[in-house]
Amino acid sequence: MSFIREVTKNKFLYILALPGLMFLIVFAYVPLNGHLIAFKKYRLADGLWGSKFVGFDNFKFFFMSADWYKVTFNTAFLNGLFLVFGLGIALVLALFLNEIRHALFKRLAQSFIFMPYFISWLVVSMMAFAFLNTTDGVVNRTLEAYGAERINWYLKAEVWPAILTLIYVWKFAGYYSIIFLAAITGISGEFYESARIDGATRFQQIIHITIPLIRSVIIVLGLLGIGRIFYGDFGMIYGIIGDNSALYSTTDVIDTYTYRSLRVLSDFSKSSAVVLYQSVMGLITIVIFNLLAKKIDKDSGLF
Amino acid sequence: MKTKVREDKSILEKSFVIGIYVFVGLFALLCIVPFWLVVINSFASESSIKIHGMQLFPKEFSLYSYQYTMAGKQILSSYMVTITVTVVGTCLAVLITSMYAYVLAHPKVKYRNILSFMTYFTMVFGAGLVGFYILIANTLGLKDTLWALILPYMLNPFFAFIMVSFFRTMPYEINEAATIDGANDLTIFFRIILPISKPVIATVSLFYALQYWNDFYLALLFIDNHNLHPLQIMIRQIISNVNISSYVGGSQTSYSQAVPTYGVQLATVCLTIGPIIFLYPFVQKFFVKGITIGALKG
Repeated sequence: MSFIREVTKNKFLYILALPGLMFLIVFAYVPLNGHLIAFKKYRLADGLWGSKFVGFDNFKFFFMSADWYKVTFNTAFLNGLFLVFGLGIALVLALFLNEIRHALFKRLAQSFIFMPYFISWLVVSMMAFAFLNTTDGVVNRTLEAYGAERINWYLKAEVWPAILTLIYVWKFAGYYSIIFLAAITGISGEFYESARIDGATRFQQIIHITIPLIRSVIIVLGLLGIGRIFYGDFGMIYGIIGDNSALYSTTDVIDTYTYRSLRVLSDFSKSSAVVLYQSVMGLITIVIFNLLAKKIDKDSGLF
Repeated sequence: MKTKVREDKSILEKSFVIGIYVFVGLFALLCIVPFWLVVINSFASESSIKIHGMQLFPKEFSLYSYQYTMAGKQILSSYMVTITVTVVGTCLAVLITSMYAYVLAHPKVKYRNILSFMTYFTMVFGAGLVGFYILIANTLGLKDTLWALILPYMLNPFFAFIMVSFFRTMPYEINEAATIDGANDLTIFFRIILPISKPVIATVSLFYALQYWNDFYLALLFIDNHNLHPLQIMIRQIISNVNISSYVGGSQTSYSQAVPTYGVQLATVCLTIGPIIFLYPFVQKFFVKGITIGALKG
C-alpha cells in the first residue's frame, strides 16, 4: 500500500524517471537472460527457451581449450598496465598542471593533452599505422635513416602490450587528469597558506596536502578500473589490432574473443559461456576490492 | 649558514618548477604530434609518401586525396548517418539521463536508493555481447536500422551519476520556493533546474556526442547495409579494404587508375575528426564545473 501512496504522491517525479527506468530494464536487465544460453545448445530456430539444456558443456569446452587462460591473462594484464600507467601519469599531470601559474601555457597544454580523448579508436589506429607501418611509417623510416633494420611491428606480438599502454596513456591522460584537477580545485586554499607559512616547498605541499586530500578520488578511480579488469576495451583492441591473428597471443582479450566466436563462428552458446564467466569474475573482483578499500579507508568504497 | 639553506631551497624549488613546465610541455607536444602527422600527410602527394615515407614536413603538397575522397557518394551518406545518429542520440540521451538523474538526486523520492542500486548494478554485472545481440537483432528486430545505433547508448549509468552529484549540490530551497508558488515537479525540472544546470548538461552532452560520433561497435554488429554505414565504419573499410575505389572515388574510377591509398585513408580520417574536435572549445569553460568528484560515487 505504501508503494502506491509513494508513487501517487510523487507521481511527476516517477514520470520523469520512467524513460530511464524502462531503458535499464529493456537494455540492461532483459539481456541478462542471455546468460541462460551458456547452459544450452542454442539454435536460433528454437529460441532461448526451446533450445536444449546441456549443463556445463559449453564451459567445459572453453576451459578445456588453451584459449581461456590466454584471453583471461591478456585481459587482466593489459588492463593492469592501463590502470597503473594511465592513472599514474594522469595524476602526475594533474598535480603538475595545478602548479602551473602561466595561464596561457596551462590552457594550451590542457587542451592539447585532452585532444586525443576526442577521436575514435579507428582514427587512433590510423595514427598508429602512420608511425608503425613497415614501409613508410615514421618509426621505420627513422630507423632506416640511422642505418638500422626496419621492424615489422604488426608481426611482433611481444611489443604490443607496451605499444597499447603508450596509446592508452596518450588517449586517456587528459581525461583522467581533468577528473583529478576537479578534485584538486575543491581543496581549500587555507591548507596551502598555512603550509607556506611553515616553510613547505611546493613538492612538500603536493606530497603532504594535495595527494592525501584527493586520496578518495584516486581510490575510487582505481576501484572502477579494477572492477573492470576482466572487461577488455573492445573498441580499442579491435580498432587497433583488427583481425590480425599474428598478434592474438598478447592482444586477444575476452571481448574480442567473444566477438569473434559470435560474429565469425556464430557460436552463441560458447560465447555466452565466456560472457557469463567474465561477468562473474568481474563481480567477484569488485566485491573483494571494495571490501579491501573500505578496510584501508572507511569512506573510499564504491558501495 | 641560514641564508645558504634558504638559497638551496629556492634553487631546488626553481628547478622543480622548470621541470614541471618541461614535463607538461613535452607531454602536450607528444599529444598533438600524431594529429599533425595525419593532417599534414593528408595534403602530401602520394608519390612523396611512397618515396620519403610519412613525414612531419612533406615536400610535395596535393589536394588530390581530398578530391578523390569527396568525389564518391559514400562520404556524404556516411556523414548523414553519423550526424543524424549523433544529434538525435545526444538530444534523447541527455534528456532521459538528466530526468532520471534528477529523480535519483531528489530527497523526496523514497525509492531513490533502490533506483540507484539498480543503475549501479548494471555497471558491475553486464549482460554481455550475446544477450545484447539477441535483444537488438532478434527481439527488437533493429538490425540495419539507425535505431540500433541510437537506442543502446541512451542511458549511461556513469554519466547519470555525474549528473546526480551535480543535482545534489543544488540548494533544496529552490524546490520549496517553487512548490509554494504552485509549480509541480515537472515544471520545476524543465523550467528551473535544467536552465541552471548548464555546466553539467554541456559536459554530459559532449560525452554522449563523442560516444555517438566515434562508435563503430554497434555499426559493426548491426549494420550490414553500406548506405547506413557511419563514418567510423567507412574509415574501417578504407583501412582494411584493398579495393578502395569501389567504396569511394565514385564508380567512374577504373581499377587501372592509381588509387591514392594513404592519401584517401588520411583524408577520410581528417574529414571525420574535424567536426567533433571543434566542439571542445565550446564546452571547455563548463568542464571542470561539470565533472565533480562525487560523480564517481553512486
